[in-house]
Amino acid sequence: MTEPRNPGMSAIPQNNPTQTETSAQAVEMDPVEYTLRKRLPRKLPKRRNDVYVNMKTDFRAQLARCQKLLEGGGHREICVHGLGLAINRAINIALQLQASSQGALQLAANTSTVELIDDLEPEDPDEAGEPMTRTRNNSAIHIKVFYPVPQ
Amino acid sequence: MRHKPNRTGKIGIIRWHKFLTLLWLNYISFTPCTLLLFFLPPFCHSEHTHILSDTIKPPLLPPSPAAVKLGQEGFKKVCRTEEDSPCPFPGLASGVLEMRVKEGSKIRNLMGFAMARMQGEKTGSAGGGTVSGLRQVVFTGSGRAVTKTITCAEIMKRKVGCLHQMTKLRYKVVKEVWESNQGAASEMTVHRTVPSISILLSKDPLDPQEPGYQPPEAFSSLWEDRGGIDPATQTTFKRPFGPLPYTSLPRCKKLCLEQGDSVLPPN
Repeated sequence: MTEPRNPGMSAIPQNNPTQTETSAQAVEMDPVEYTLRKRLPRKLPKRRNDVYVNMKTDFRAQLARCQKLLEGGGHREICVHGLGLAINRAINIALQLQASSQGALQLAANTSTVELIDDLEPEDPDEAGEPMTRTRNNSAIHIKVFYPVPQ
Repeated sequence: MRHKPNRTGKIGIIRWHKFLTLLWLNYISFTPCTLLLFFLPPFCHSEHTHILSDTIKPPLLPPSPAAVKLGQEGFKKVCRTEEDSPCPFPGLASGVLEMRVKEGSKIRNLMGFAMARMQGEKTGSAGGGTVSGLRQVVFTGSGRAVTKTITCAEIMKRKVGCLHQMTKLRYKVVKEVWESNQGAASEMTVHRTVPSISILLSKDPLDPQEPGYQPPEAFSSLWEDRGGIDPATQTTFKRPFGPLPYTSLPRCKKLCLEQGDSVLPPN
C-alpha cells in the first residue's frame, strides 16, 4: 500500500539536483522498464532503551515491549522512534504509555528528516539502461518517554 | 552492506491500480459485499485509535467492534468536527500564525502560504514597504495528517534556518456523525480520540528546559544530548563512536553509495 505514495516524496526540492542531472538519461528512459528497490533506512544508534517502531509488528506487542522496558527493565527513560507511516504509531505508543502511567511519565518529542535511497534497476539487462539511485527525504519522530526528575 | 532491497515498487503499483479498478467497478455495481470492501479501508489503519478509546475515555466511546460495524451496516460519515482544545503552548502571543494541516492539504499550498508570511513579503498595494515577516508559526495536525505536519515543519526548518522548535503531542477528541443510508433517518455520534501533534517554530529562543524543545540544527547533537540526560544509561550503554560518523556527516549518502555497488550518475 505504501508504494504509490512514495514517489510523491521526491517533490522535496533537495532531490531536484539529482533529477536534473539524470534528465539527459531520463529522456530515453522509460520508467516502466526499471524496478524500484528501496534500501533500508540508514542505521541509527541502538541503545538498550531505543525502540524503533514499524508497521509490521503488532501494535500491542510493541506497546508491551515499551512497558516492559520502563517497568521491568528499570529504565528511567526510553526513546521511541518512528519513520514515515510509523510516526503515527510511535506517537500512539508514547501517548498510551503516558496515559497508562497516570501522568507519571512525560514526553519530549523531536522531529528530523531522514534521507532514504532508492535503487532503480533495469528490468532487462540487455537494454542500455544503467542502474541508478535516487535520494528522497522522509520525516521521522523521536519521542523520549521519561520519568521527570523530582525537583 | 548495510542495506538490502526489500520491495519492488513496480509490482506494487500495478497491483494497487488493479485493486482500485476492481474496487471502482464493484462499487458501481453495488453488491452488498463490495460496500463492505469500500468501507473497510478507513478502519484498517486506525486499529490503535479504537484500542485507545477503551482505555482513555470509557464512558464516551463505543467499543471497537461497534465502530467497525458502522461502515458495514450502511452508515455514512456525514460530519467530522474536532473539539476545541486549549493551545498547547502556554504564553504564546495571540497573533501567531496557526497552520492546521489536514489529511488532504497540499504541502505546496501550506508551504507557499507559511513561507511567505515567515519571510516577509512586499506589500505593494497597502503600504509600499516591506514587512519583516512573522516570528513564530505553529503547525498542527491530527490522525493521518501527523506525518504531513512534521514534513511541513521540517521543510520550513531547512528553508528558513535557525528556527527553535517545540513539539507537543496529545490526544484530540474528534466527533463524528454517521448517518444511515438505509432510508430511516437515524444518526449516530461517535467520539474518538486521535493522536495530534503541534509544532511551534520560532525565530526567537524558547525555553530549553521545556520537554520537546529542539534547538536549531539539532540533529547531529540529538544523540549525545540524549545520553547526557540519563547518566545511568550513558555509562552502561555509551557508544562514543557508533552514531557519530552517520549523524554528523552530511555527506553520508555519498559514502553509502561508494560502499555499495550501485552507480550514481556522474556530476
